[in-house]
Amino acid sequence: MSTVPSELAVETEPKGVLPTGSAPTPARRVISTLRKSPAVVFSVCVIVFIVLLAVFAPVLAAITGWDPYEFDPTAIDSDLGGVPIGPFGGISSSHWLGVEPGNGRDILVRIAYGARVSLMIAVSATLITTTFGVVLGMVAGFFGGLADQIISRVMDFLMAFPSLIFMIALLSALPAGNRPALLVLVLSIFGWPYTARVIRGQAMSLRNSEFVEAARASGARPVKIVFREVLPNLRGTIIVLATLAVPSYIGTEAGLSFLGVGVMPPTPSWGQMISTAVGWYAVDPMFFLIPGTFLFLTVFAFTVLGDNLRRVLDAGDAA
Amino acid sequence: MKRRTAFLGLAIATSIALVGCTAADTGSGSTEGVGGEPVTGGTLQVLQNTDFSHLDPAQGFDGGVNNFYRLIYRTLTTQGVGEGAEGTEIVPDLATDTGTPNEDATVWTFTLKDDIFFEDGTPITSADVKFGVERSLDPSISIGSPYAKIVLYMPEDYQGFYISGPLDTIETPDEKTIVFHLNQPYADFAAVVGQAPFTPFPADDESVTTTSIDQQPIASGPYRVTEYQRGSTLVLERNEHWDASTDDVRKAYPDSFEWTFGLDGATIDERMIAGQGDDQNAIAGSVQAASIARIQTPEIQERTIQGLQGCTTYMPLNTTKPGMDDPLVRQAINLAVNKQAVKDGTGGSQLADIATTMMPPTVAGFTEFDLYPSEDFEGDPEAAKELLAEAGYPDGFEFTLDIRNNPKMQAQAEAIQQSLAQAGITVNFNLIDSATFYEVIGTTSQQHDAAITGWCPDWASGATFLPPLFEGTQIFEKGNSNVAQLNDPAVNERIAEIRAMTDVEEANAAWGALDEQIMELAPAVPLLFEKAVMVVGSNVAGAYAHAGFSGGIDYVSVGLASAE
Repeated sequence: MSTVPSELAVETEPKGVLPTGSAPTPARRVISTLRKSPAVVFSVCVIVFIVLLAVFAPVLAAITGWDPYEFDPTAIDSDLGGVPIGPFGGISSSHWLGVEPGNGRDILVRIAYGARVSLMIAVSATLITTTFGVVLGMVAGFFGGLADQIISRVMDFLMAFPSLIFMIALLSALPAGNRPALLVLVLSIFGWPYTARVIRGQAMSLRNSEFVEAARASGARPVKIVFREVLPNLRGTIIVLATLAVPSYIGTEAGLSFLGVGVMPPTPSWGQMISTAVGWYAVDPMFFLIPGTFLFLTVFAFTVLGDNLRRVLDAGDAA
Repeated sequence: MKRRTAFLGLAIATSIALVGCTAADTGSGSTEGVGGEPVTGGTLQVLQNTDFSHLDPAQGFDGGVNNFYRLIYRTLTTQGVGEGAEGTEIVPDLATDTGTPNEDATVWTFTLKDDIFFEDGTPITSADVKFGVERSLDPSISIGSPYAKIVLYMPEDYQGFYISGPLDTIETPDEKTIVFHLNQPYADFAAVVGQAPFTPFPADDESVTTTSIDQQPIASGPYRVTEYQRGSTLVLERNEHWDASTDDVRKAYPDSFEWTFGLDGATIDERMIAGQGDDQNAIAGSVQAASIARIQTPEIQERTIQGLQGCTTYMPLNTTKPGMDDPLVRQAINLAVNKQAVKDGTGGSQLADIATTMMPPTVAGFTEFDLYPSEDFEGDPEAAKELLAEAGYPDGFEFTLDIRNNPKMQAQAEAIQQSLAQAGITVNFNLIDSATFYEVIGTTSQQHDAAITGWCPDWASGATFLPPLFEGTQIFEKGNSNVAQLNDPAVNERIAEIRAMTDVEEANAAWGALDEQIMELAPAVPLLFEKAVMVVGSNVAGAYAHAGFSGGIDYVSVGLASAE
């Protein structure tokens, strides 16, 4: 997770350049700036495409006529170890992105269902880690003292873990149960401190700012100050952190599935497809390339968007 | 012990390297093997994924290690050489013939050949053979072939030489003669003394202990172990005291053998296909499904051999579970499974044939039948639904399948899940770690409704195939091989009857018929007879798939075409 300059967003609104519509302007300014960047436009298009693919996966299955679990023995050559028949991994009018070797399942439909799994896990984990990270980070940063001590030590403790190794161990030991839910849980346990740490730093510097002093002087209760005064000033940071968390969780989920401890077969998953494709790289490289490309594009698009958001927000704050 | 056998089948399914392969005739392979007649000399390289289970013949018990034992050990009898039935025939080895039984086949006498020696030059006597058997019965090491324990007449509490002392029921009237007393008539005893635990060791309990052999084997065969690093390398060199004139089985062409363990399956395939440098002198186990398409070029086909592993991959259905206890449900599952899809997932027609019987075609007495036919073996969901409705499950049935956490078995399981779904049967997977898989399915309290597993016969007879899998008295709480937990009085009775037959031919035919009788009860779904497809180095000669060693290349017959 990338760090965000802790000065970010500190002095924006208190300076309050006078009431010329200060609330809607930043959002509009951010969007109009981002629109000018082709990389961002591309990224947003990719994200929209992937989300549509995930949402309309059943529709896609109906259109192509292939269920994600349905075998197609006619699309593979049983005499050659089960390689797809036809060029580029069996791409044809009935299988638009070819088929999986060994069973003939339609890759496009499995990719679409895999996107559902990936996005659902990544977005759920992001929501949970952001919520926990923001709340705990603000509490630690704003109140300091014992609360800060406890929360910071827990964060240090979790961040010191070699998290991937620990996730593998944890997922292997836990009973099979509901895998996606387990993945969200494990990702969240190890993910929230990264958000909380940044938020804590920002909350600390906001604690002594003038508008907080003013609120305090006017008799506002601490909890109200935290959520009414501090939180709105962290908006930009939170958006950036969340946008960057999504691709990191997608990547981690794919990695865990690749290693065989993530989503269990036959549930489609990109990481799993890539893992299966390893053995086939020489005879059927498309089986590796297609899920690989989807994974790359998704992670890339979210990362580019997140980076640009940060850049624009930073610039805006400095101005 | 029986579980070990199961382990063997499974081990084969997974670790390519362990796989010895059997050559039943598969139609396409040449009977000569590849590369013509080998020359004497040179070093043969063997690339292998996993190390051998044990160097101690009392402990190792799978096709791969039994094949290896023939290089360093000799037994009274052994399997023949050659493809198909020639290879599984029992022939004399240390003994002059395959033994002389008394009238009811309960007492067997063997005479040893002359000029047989251990690697230090001391002659092998009947006392050494006796000691080898007694040693193998020690509870701490008797995890290998169980037949000595099953058929030898001995006190109930006999615990091997080190605990209970010598066994009186093995007599050695002189240095060349050994007499075994059995607890039952056993017409196939000549095959039993060919099992690895019957390997002789110097009758000296000071220097030969329960653990010493596993670390430093004492060779009686043509090679001795000169270097061994567990999990990485093993080197064999010639045993100068082995006399070729006493041995009709072993050709022992190369001067030395060198194993490299711990190689990834894909790496082995890559190296064998490339065939560069020392790999020209290398052999390996079966290739992976993904490599099949790459070995179709004429150049590689020339050095490809294939054969049946001689094992059956099957899905036992736990007959004690609710629902599964109804034969109609089990028959419905048999009808619905799309074996063609299972075969494709395993690697297609080159790596597997479809099984409709439990006994593989390499077993004597094999009788072909298909009680649950469907078009192109693709399953008959409609017929299955009718049976299910008849059994009281008109709305479908659900069960849990134990599978091993490896890609091939998962592909097989997905194919089964997909085909049963069409008959309204929901299959849930219980993924079990590879290391504990056989332990879990062999523990009656832990296994679920069904599993995917394999079985290889200990020698080519139904006696080593059907009873361990389907005899009621062989259900054990742990180490259970009767995973279906079938305990059918008629089957049990018939097994006892066939066992008592003294005519081997008649018994073989009866096992074939029993196979059909058992399949009428549908305690398992026979899935595949898997094959071994092996690419050998361009300088390798005399390689063929041996039917007695799960289709592995027969080590005692393979050599190099030119020794530099």
